[in-house]
Amino acid sequence: MGAVACDVFEDELKVQSPVALPEDLVKGKENWYATLCRTGPSSEGVVVRVIEGRAKKIQGNPNYPTNLGAQGVWSDLGLQQLYHPDRLSNPLRLNGEKASGRFDSITWGRALDEVSKALESRDGAVAMISPPMRGHSAVIADEFIKAFGGKRIEFESLDLKTYRSAIKNIFGQDIQPHYDIGNAEYVLSFGADFLSTWVSPTQWQVGYGEFRDSEHSHRGIMTHVDSRFSVTASNADRWIPITPGQEGKLALSIAYVIIEEQLYPSGVDVNSLTSGQGLSSLAAYSPENIGNQLGAPEHVLGAHSVPELIRTVAREFASHRPAIAIGGGTAGASTNGLFNLEAIYLLNHLVGSVGKEGGVILNPESPVKNLKATSNAHTLSDLEELIRDIKSSKIKMLIMNNVNPVYGSPDWIGLEAVLNSDDIYLVSIDSFMNETNQYADMILPDRNFIEDWGNDVPEPAAGYQTIGIQQPIVNPLSDMDPRSSSDVLLSLAQDLGKDGNMPWKSLEDALKGMSDELFELNRGSVSGSTKQEFWSNLLRQGGWWDKSAVGQDRSNISGLISKVIDKDKEPRLSGDGDFYLVPFLHNSLLDGRNGDMPWAQGTPDPITSVAWQTWIEINDKVANERGIREGDVIEVKSGASSITGIAFVSPAQPPSVISVPLGQGRTKGSAYATDRLDGESANVLDIIENNKIEGTEGLAWAATTVSITNTGESLRIAKFEGDYESREVGFTEGEELIKTTSPGDHDH
Amino acid sequence: MIPKGNIVAATLVGLIVAGITGFILLVVAISWFSNAPFGLNDAPAQPIAFPHTAHAGTVEDGGLGMECEFCHRNVTKGDSATVPALQQCWYCHQKVSGGDEAAQAEIDKLVTAYSDGVPVNWERVHRLPDHVRFVHEAHIRHFTQGDTPETQLEVKEVCTVCHGEVAKMEEVQPKQFQSLKMGTCLDCHRKYDVPTDCTICHK
Repeated sequence: MGAVACDVFEDELKVQSPVALPEDLVKGKENWYATLCRTGPSSEGVVVRVIEGRAKKIQGNPNYPTNLGAQGVWSDLGLQQLYHPDRLSNPLRLNGEKASGRFDSITWGRALDEVSKALESRDGAVAMISPPMRGHSAVIADEFIKAFGGKRIEFESLDLKTYRSAIKNIFGQDIQPHYDIGNAEYVLSFGADFLSTWVSPTQWQVGYGEFRDSEHSHRGIMTHVDSRFSVTASNADRWIPITPGQEGKLALSIAYVIIEEQLYPSGVDVNSLTSGQGLSSLAAYSPENIGNQLGAPEHVLGAHSVPELIRTVAREFASHRPAIAIGGGTAGASTNGLFNLEAIYLLNHLVGSVGKEGGVILNPESPVKNLKATSNAHTLSDLEELIRDIKSSKIKMLIMNNVNPVYGSPDWIGLEAVLNSDDIYLVSIDSFMNETNQYADMILPDRNFIEDWGNDVPEPAAGYQTIGIQQPIVNPLSDMDPRSSSDVLLSLAQDLGKDGNMPWKSLEDALKGMSDELFELNRGSVSGSTKQEFWSNLLRQGGWWDKSAVGQDRSNISGLISKVIDKDKEPRLSGDGDFYLVPFLHNSLLDGRNGDMPWAQGTPDPITSVAWQTWIEINDKVANERGIREGDVIEVKSGASSITGIAFVSPAQPPSVISVPLGQGRTKGSAYATDRLDGESANVLDIIENNKIEGTEGLAWAATTVSITNTGESLRIAKFEGDYESREVGFTEGEELIKTTSPGDHDH
Repeated sequence: MIPKGNIVAATLVGLIVAGITGFILLVVAISWFSNAPFGLNDAPAQPIAFPHTAHAGTVEDGGLGMECEFCHRNVTKGDSATVPALQQCWYCHQKVSGGDEAAQAEIDKLVTAYSDGVPVNWERVHRLPDHVRFVHEAHIRHFTQGDTPETQLEVKEVCTVCHGEVAKMEEVQPKQFQSLKMGTCLDCHRKYDVPTDCTICHK
């Protein structure tokens, strides 16, 4: 110890002359560059602080339309990814059996040569799996895979296909809308944890800040319906816990009250919505009829019965206009998820909020030809079809483009078995080892978003045409040799003469073409008298947007309520357990994609404050009855499989529900993701049963019932909550800034 | 009763021990407050024997008369003086050869390191403790932009205020000119009526 305290590290006795003259490396000078962050559920405009050639800090870009300077918890992960000690530095070629973990580090020349030969010999039988992509990376990936006669699947563990379908059916377009929460008076949300992980949380958080700002002319009211006490539920004025799968019935019951009491604004054509049937079309959904089906508690914020509560919410929702109804998450994850979401979004038509300030703002098409404003919507069923194609040898080569479906899909899908076969040549483009690329024949290290070009049509945009641009802000570290995945695909296509529909030397070249196209439009936020000046300003600003280029309401409301009612079916459940299983995206790990980042692991969950572990949320009375205490290792079992996690006992947890976050249970990859004690880390996707959503074939991930068993083991739960004294605020001098209101006593 | 012979021997031993102890304490004291004797505090040999005399020494003394900030590029801009990149040395030494065989051998080391892309790790002569901040730029500004003749020096003259006549030093060693310890800083701050609050220098 003495030596440590008194001695000087040997390196500090040296002063180094670098080899090259660092003309721009003036000590202490910082530069900020605009780009796009790609570590969250949606892209965000950010600025990156660079000192002496190294990225030091990422913050929200104050000009970027969707996040306006705010940033998600994921933004800082970009730096950890950039400097991560376990990041793959060179191409790796399998040397031994698949999953043996034996890889040789080889040069890019040899790696591309081998992949090129594999492509040539398997032409027509190539497929790609990627996350949802937009921008020119998606264009290049699609053209590449088309050139080799294959298909590309966009994979997400909890896919948004059902949400997208509901949007299409209710608002008449594929492009996701913007919810103008900031200007709304009332938000009625169902299942979507939009303040934490759902779709574009930073965008919604910015709006929510304005929504709740009492210095504005209003302070909005929010009611949240959810089977779990989420971040969004905890921010709402009123949280109504109901049984998963009953959200649509509740929404239609609210519609019933609005029509019955004629609470809708004068411009709303109820006759058209109900095909002339009026209230009778919704008779089955009167609060009195469905009140006892919802599983909601009898006493929520002063209501004496569930029917009374429904009527109160309906009156508030219809009288505080503009009002928005939002649905997603568990509301769209039962077997009747499509019905639920359509019923929820239908409410926006009933209160005249579609296409209005403070309501649902429809987003426009992209201003650039060939650039879509929406991702492809694939589901687990598409992945199952691909697996069948691999088994029947229709697909002989698979490219995993920054995706980990072996971890991110339930085991029963059988993906692992087909990948662990010599019949399929697997190329993985990624930055870390994971459960999927352990089966790869070749792993190609990708560049981090801070090192790479890119662009995005944000989905959803903020109600007007927007294109974000991503630029390489730093070079890779000297011992790293990653390459841009888009450039790798381009060079492979060029080598094999398959680049006919990709007239670009590189991704940068494609982006410059896009910039020229935007320049020719002669409108929008970027100025420039020449194409070069426009390009420079585009990079400086971090994107292009035109507030006057807005979307149009293409909804066809004729008979809409009847169409929705036609889809109403009781949710099907699998399993014989006592509890509904409600999985949810982890606040920072999301679906596990950020598991390698210690910052994401160590960031406490906003509700429970747990970090690094899988916790099982259990109602306190249920836990008492079963002799379960916080920290006990609990086995959660479905018909598919079982997992273990640590009990987190909470009075806020509905008694019939067990909630488990996604993101843990990694078995291959960085030690930050995998090095855990037995019982404290599990992948909840393993116990989700095979139920599909009617109408979309997406995975019904909230349709599993489970049983719980106390294993008798106990572990220390890693959390802050409860370890420090807490007290109610707002009573002592100086705390009057903290204002609490309830729905009935706010000012307008 | 101790025999007389033993008293003499004990006295001698005592004197010898006291003498050695005193000598050691003297060396430690000198080393602490000034330059250590017998080369005790010398830095290890530099990887390349760089002669400041040949570069910064006056033309009359056989040098090139280069300004200090030609190589120590950041000294007038920021906290650290910085050592130059090998590329900067190479700009001249791709043409300029050594005056004799020994000098050329040292230049060859530089050219090889540059062409191989291997940085050179010099032995640090002056190391600022972690708890102290020192900004070269502020000190050079003080001594070049003042109101009195002794604060209107040229940059290379300012360097000598603390570091001595480096241009005349074949090899630079710690404390060669002065100790550059806290006392040195305080003396100068008091002399020029600069604040001596702890937080001026200490982090």
